[in-house]
Amino acid sequence: MNQRIGRRIESVSLNLLALILIIFIVGPLVWVAVASIQGENELLRHPPRIIPHDPTLDNYDYVFTGKIPTAYEVKGQLRSRISQEARLIPAALKNSFIVATSVMIVNLVIGSIAAYTFAWQRFRGRTFLLNFILGSRLLPVMAVAIPYYVIIQTLGLLDTYISLILIYLALTLPFSIWFLSSYFSGIPKDFEDAAHIDGCNTFQALTRVVIPIALPGLVAAAAFAFMASYNEFLFARFLTQSIDSQTGPVIISSIAGNPDASYSLISVAITLGLIPPLILAIVLRRWLTEGLSTSITLR
Amino acid sequence: MAQHPGAARRHHSLRLGRKAYPYLSILPVLIVVALFAIYPIIHAVRMSFYKYLLTRPNDHPFVGLGNFIEVITSYYFKNSIQVTAIYTVAAVVGVVIYGLGVALLLNTSIKLAGPLKIVILLPWALPAVVSGLLWKWILNADFGILNGLLYALGLIDSYIPFLADPTLAKLSLIMAFIWKEGPLVAIFFLAGLQLIPDEYYEAAKIDGGSAWTIFRHVKVPLLRAVFLIVIVYETMTAILTFDTIYVLTGGGPADSTALISWFAYAEIFKGLNLGHGIALAIIIAAVTLVLILVYLRALKPEEATS
Repeated sequence: MNQRIGRRIESVSLNLLALILIIFIVGPLVWVAVASIQGENELLRHPPRIIPHDPTLDNYDYVFTGKIPTAYEVKGQLRSRISQEARLIPAALKNSFIVATSVMIVNLVIGSIAAYTFAWQRFRGRTFLLNFILGSRLLPVMAVAIPYYVIIQTLGLLDTYISLILIYLALTLPFSIWFLSSYFSGIPKDFEDAAHIDGCNTFQALTRVVIPIALPGLVAAAAFAFMASYNEFLFARFLTQSIDSQTGPVIISSIAGNPDASYSLISVAITLGLIPPLILAIVLRRWLTEGLSTSITLR
Repeated sequence: MAQHPGAARRHHSLRLGRKAYPYLSILPVLIVVALFAIYPIIHAVRMSFYKYLLTRPNDHPFVGLGNFIEVITSYYFKNSIQVTAIYTVAAVVGVVIYGLGVALLLNTSIKLAGPLKIVILLPWALPAVVSGLLWKWILNADFGILNGLLYALGLIDSYIPFLADPTLAKLSLIMAFIWKEGPLVAIFFLAGLQLIPDEYYEAAKIDGGSAWTIFRHVKVPLLRAVFLIVIVYETMTAILTFDTIYVLTGGGPADSTALISWFAYAEIFKGLNLGHGIALAIIIAAVTLVLILVYLRALKPEEATS
């Protein structure tokens, strides 16, 4: 009897803890979405309303069509708080998406081929080359920012997608190589041997046998490459100059950095920026955990 | 007759192909990584020995260790080392405890473990710029929802300027770090927990182990490799925190959240003193490397016996 009460208390308190964590994790996201459908005058109340009395899509309308929200006209003087830059958000998110998708695909193709070699092949210089690739990420980005700029300028790639794609590949490949090579070495060698006996060469063994088995790990690596590129800020900020290549984080930080910026429009910018990574995080959740549990070992 | 030489050649090229395959297969990765590693590192190290001011682009005399001496004796160095140390220790300890706690919770069969699993990764997926802005807006001293909530609940009499007080600003930054980085740590620990075979728990239970002894003497030792990955990765991430500071505190108030990496940024992009900035970045890299080696030694997994 006593034990049952004890277990009940334990279950209730653990659920309560989980509830607090869920609120801590989701609260900020919900609040910014709520703020984005409020007019400026309602948002700047003291204290703010958690449930808007007068929800409106005007702020979104402004970003996509340029129609000034009515909440601004009511107060007249607030017109100046409209941040013109907010209208660049859809284009910037499109840039982010193109860059991140390209990095993800190239990273996955050349990364998985190389990781497979590091996992299974024995060749001269293997350890050195692997350490070189992994160690290349040790230098802080600030130190290499200027040399990167010089390289991109020399290649004539300033303000292009390609400049960002190249740099993000260099930033994400070491992680993919580490992650995928430990993932591949977790796959029983028998599968590969069987493929060889059936007359496959190393490359065919990779594409026909190993890749289908390794799908969770590949999806996880792809997600990491996508997220890292979609979210990168420092290089994007100083290698891009116009909306031709400026990415989401660059435009969002620039809108928010404007002292005259409208809070509801900042919220719209953030909310729109949240959508793609959130969808990815929810869709890929299972794959990520599964991929990680295969690639890490307890030794 | 005619088949023989052809077959031999094919055999020969097959063997050559097998020897060349490893190198060919890693070549594309090597090219990209080398392009953005070898030249930039040589260039950066070289620049750290010269006086490099963007305001005087054609005049950069060799100064030896001058840049290193100047940054180490600068007004901000000692303070920023302190800030970096406090922040890094608090952020890494905080995120490991938080991540491990969440993972242990996710590994139970409670009702809310499912919903928690669905949302846990969300903060990790966001750009740091965006999560920084979320918190800036929530912590806002005039219109922030946190102040609004605390006020509505009667917990405070007047709004708290979270980001204008040095201690509260540090705490806010650490909390934003834990919120953003915690999910990945949790998933790593969860993956590790799921790898522990059930027999271990059963054996410990038969021996009469309480939940705490199982945690302390079964889970923690077995998770050593995960601890190592997580601590190394999060230390590097914390020391180099930039995006969040950029949008959340701007290094303030009064440099209370300005890490060394922040000054490396400020020297390069605001002071236009590349020599100083790169010297700082090299110091950070050296410290990071030493820390990783220390961790590797301290947490080195025991050999096969364990």
